[in-house]
Amino acid sequence: MREISYLEAVREAMTQEMERDPRVFLIGEDIGEYGGAFQVSYGMLEEFGHERILDTPITELGLTGAATGAALIGMRPIAEIMFMDFTTLASEQLVNQAAKLRYMFGGQSTVPMVLRTPAGSGTGAAEHHSQSFENWFVHVPGLKVAMPSTPYDAKGLLISSIRDNNPVVFIEHKLLYKTKGEVPEEPYEIPLGQADIKREGKDLTIIATAIMVKKSQEAAEQLAQEGIDVEIVDPRTLRPLDTETIVNSVKKTGKVLIVHEAVKTGGFGGELAGVIAESEAFGYLEAPILRLAGREVPIPYNRNLERAAVPQVEDIIEKARQLATLKV
Amino acid sequence: MAVEMIMPKVDMDQETGTVVEWLKTEGQQVTEGEIILVIETDKIAIDVESPGTGILQGISAQPGDVIPIGTVIAYILEEGEELPEGAVKTQAAQASSAPAAQHLEESSRVQATPVAKKMAESHNIDLLTVPATGKGGKVTKKDVQAAIELEKPETSAGDLIASPAARRTARIKGVDLSLVRGTGPGGRIQASDVESFQPLIGTPTAVGVKSGESIPLIGMRRTIAERMTASYQTIPHVQFTVSVDMTKFIQVREDYNKLALERGDGKISVTALLVKLVAMTLSNHPMLNSSLVGDNIVLHQDINIGVAVALEKGLIVPVIKNAAKKGIRAIADETNDLVTRARSDQLSSTDVKGGTFTITNLGPFGIEQFNAIINSPEAAILAVGATQQEVRALPDKAIAIRPVMRFTLSADHRIIDGSVAARFVADLKETLENPILMNY
Amino acid sequence: MTLTKENAEKYLLQMYQIRAFEEQAEKSYMAGKIHGTMHLSIGQEASAVGSISTLEPTDYIIGHHRGHGLTIAKGADLNLMMAEFYGKANGYCRGRGGSMHIADIKGGNLGANGVVGGGLPLAVGIGIGLKMEAENRVLLCFFGDGAASTGAFHESMILAELYQVPVVFVCENNQYAMSFASRDWTTSKKIAAHGEVYGLTSTATDGNNLIEVRDAVQMGVDRARGGGGPSLVVNDTYRWRGHSKSDRNRYRTNEEIEAWKKKDPILKFRKYCKTEKLITDEKAEEIKKKAYADIESARVFAESSPEPDVQTLEEGVYAP
Repeated sequence: MREISYLEAVREAMTQEMERDPRVFLIGEDIGEYGGAFQVSYGMLEEFGHERILDTPITELGLTGAATGAALIGMRPIAEIMFMDFTTLASEQLVNQAAKLRYMFGGQSTVPMVLRTPAGSGTGAAEHHSQSFENWFVHVPGLKVAMPSTPYDAKGLLISSIRDNNPVVFIEHKLLYKTKGEVPEEPYEIPLGQADIKREGKDLTIIATAIMVKKSQEAAEQLAQEGIDVEIVDPRTLRPLDTETIVNSVKKTGKVLIVHEAVKTGGFGGELAGVIAESEAFGYLEAPILRLAGREVPIPYNRNLERAAVPQVEDIIEKARQLATLKV
Repeated sequence: MAVEMIMPKVDMDQETGTVVEWLKTEGQQVTEGEIILVIETDKIAIDVESPGTGILQGISAQPGDVIPIGTVIAYILEEGEELPEGAVKTQAAQASSAPAAQHLEESSRVQATPVAKKMAESHNIDLLTVPATGKGGKVTKKDVQAAIELEKPETSAGDLIASPAARRTARIKGVDLSLVRGTGPGGRIQASDVESFQPLIGTPTAVGVKSGESIPLIGMRRTIAERMTASYQTIPHVQFTVSVDMTKFIQVREDYNKLALERGDGKISVTALLVKLVAMTLSNHPMLNSSLVGDNIVLHQDINIGVAVALEKGLIVPVIKNAAKKGIRAIADETNDLVTRARSDQLSSTDVKGGTFTITNLGPFGIEQFNAIINSPEAAILAVGATQQEVRALPDKAIAIRPVMRFTLSADHRIIDGSVAARFVADLKETLENPILMNY
Repeated sequence: MTLTKENAEKYLLQMYQIRAFEEQAEKSYMAGKIHGTMHLSIGQEASAVGSISTLEPTDYIIGHHRGHGLTIAKGADLNLMMAEFYGKANGYCRGRGGSMHIADIKGGNLGANGVVGGGLPLAVGIGIGLKMEAENRVLLCFFGDGAASTGAFHESMILAELYQVPVVFVCENNQYAMSFASRDWTTSKKIAAHGEVYGLTSTATDGNNLIEVRDAVQMGVDRARGGGGPSLVVNDTYRWRGHSKSDRNRYRTNEEIEAWKKKDPILKFRKYCKTEKLITDEKAEEIKKKAYADIESARVFAESSPEPDVQTLEEGVYAP
């Protein structure tokens, strides 16, 4: 199969859905001529024109609200927030309006929109351009949250998100944009709420999201050479969450390490740990549920500090090794 | 002075750039700020300006080449100026991979004495994590010892640390976790510890159980059921019974006990003396002190005799280790101790582990003789019946009343042939009838 | 207000230092020595220096993401600033902030900001504080045309007027919010009109003319110091470089860039000073040389400065 980048997979999903469904349009900052801050929508203006590629001034709240409003009357907008950090500005419309309109109107309406945004550190863009806020939105009933880790997942999940009748926060990772992988040319859906076992193993389970899936895979290769057989579960969507796959994996291995980039305190790892602890997997645990996550700091500018602020491959190896050998 | 032209970084997350086209060729005059090169990052073409005014020389990157950012790809020279030595170098590219290199350097920089290194290796200690106190920051043996101490499980009586899986396994198997030794950190009991735990064989008695009630097959009862079934189904049992004249045995025991009384020691029990004599006999019959493990018959070096002890609550099998090498006094003391502790429920898992041969005595219940099921993976078990006064024809054809016991050996017929077992039983009979042989 | 020879030389030096700093920043970045991104203010030097020249050293500024020029104009130590740009341990922010977050609190610089419009609501609160403190200090709040489209701008104007804070809001309209042309929705005059609507005295200037900028901001500063409340000045200017280094300038033409380069604020100021007999060409070249030398030594300082110790990562999140 042909290989394309994660960035191209996102673009292809949007393009194919816009070709298929005239109700789909893009709205965001610098998504037109500029092609998006990360070039995700590059070339789409030429194909779809200003009618359906709505370039906005700096108006995160306004554009998110505009997408919500359009969705309320049946359009299927894709809003882009240039950096996840700026979803703070968009949150009022997203959290108070988009997430709740259907419920508080007694199910009379739907809000079929997608809010795409790149998260994560590693680019040296420091405190205001590096954050991972997924768990803020996981906490809001009415929103769905997708977080793909591969080009294949990015395309399938985005198409599902666009076709879904609910607001979906679609979180992309900047460092994954240029990673490549096999992606079918035709449109396809990956159901929201279906985890994927990225690697099968028997000694311990790593549950990882976004870039941490890739890092965990690298760690697993090295651990395999030490005779430690790691299973990697990628939830792919955090809400809804595929608890069954997670619980089954933990029951199989008895040891679980949760890896995410977002700060540990209040992060999604806590939710995962809770889900495991209150499930039947509890009785299969051979060791404490471990979390490896972002340190309790804003993302700093300096390269070494930035690197130390989030889990790296060597950190995953060390923690997984401790867990596999029951040193914890 | 030569001006370096580098592969520029134009994107935040850019690591390389691809040369698309040089707009000027080697030897041509270029001006600072003039566009002389087109590169591509992520399929986007970028114009690159000349960093200086002069003559373009030493182009080291051709169209299609993917070059790490910061790498020198050409020079702008003054008239008559030579290219710097080793012009085609990727000096700046190394800078971009500095953090990785630095980390590598850190790991290999750990200095440690050879002893410390070896010690760390054998205890699975990461030297990187050991604070160094030696000269020049070297990690010493002392440092590693300290680290090992830190890693040692803390054993605190009273507290019971067990993984949820261990607790679950224990619940299903009915194992009392307080008897299981944990091998995890801080002495935490893991599921594998529970799995490999040799339960104290025994079962709750029928006390308080009314007929008509059904008792769930759980706990120790379940373990016994599983093990008995497994043993009986997989091991072809072969049995040999012999009746033994216990006259001299009883005499010897009385002599010992007189001595013990004089010395103020504890009594030598029948069991103790049996253990000693069986162990002595076994030392001449290694096949009877063996186990079939996979495709191998393992002949055990030590002779560890398990003794089934009947309790009100059930039955347990403490083990007297190295019985053949111990004197009767030591065996007696050990047996007394084990039995006492068994009755007060104070046996540890090590007290019941490692048996190589079992003696089970139902004589106290008046059973004349019986067949026991082998305590797998042992190769044989000896069932001891009650002492009975019987009329015996002596060798001189005289008739006498003698104390007689019947011993029945059950042996694993896969590894023990009938003649091998028979020879052991015959030897055992001879030894029991002539205990003096034990010191022969 | 008349311009003294001494001040003219100081302003020219600062403008050249800004330009030299930005050029060095670009070089270091392209050489892969800088992690992350940066936003260069080449072409906007008169707006920064002209505005801040009206302040006393004890006054405050608060900036935007394109803040190198503002920082230099407020009198920052070039070495510490460059060290921060390089992410070094002895930089202004210990290497934690970098290009987009340089602050010099002691020097009255309350920091650059990575969020467009992020500084505007802060400015209202700083103004409230300054008013309570009653020491006649004022604040210049810088933002761009991009921020003028945010809700934060409009809310801040309303609050600033309501509380009559001693703040001059300075909008540096450099024509583009990243790639979005401000002409598509507004002009410098329209932005100023927003201020008027909310009750602030507002002016639009030629932001490349240092004298015009200085005069307009001076009026605002005097008003603020005199208890007359907030005002708004919109400096019409242009950034020569892309939004950030990854900008491909697809949204504008080379002709447009070249046309604005002809309105170089530094050359404009030099011409003025020459006419007014304040600075000769020779003196101007001497000043330029000094500015570039200052930046070169700052570069050397920064490159030889230590990296932050990774062990200190979690230091400074909370105050003791």
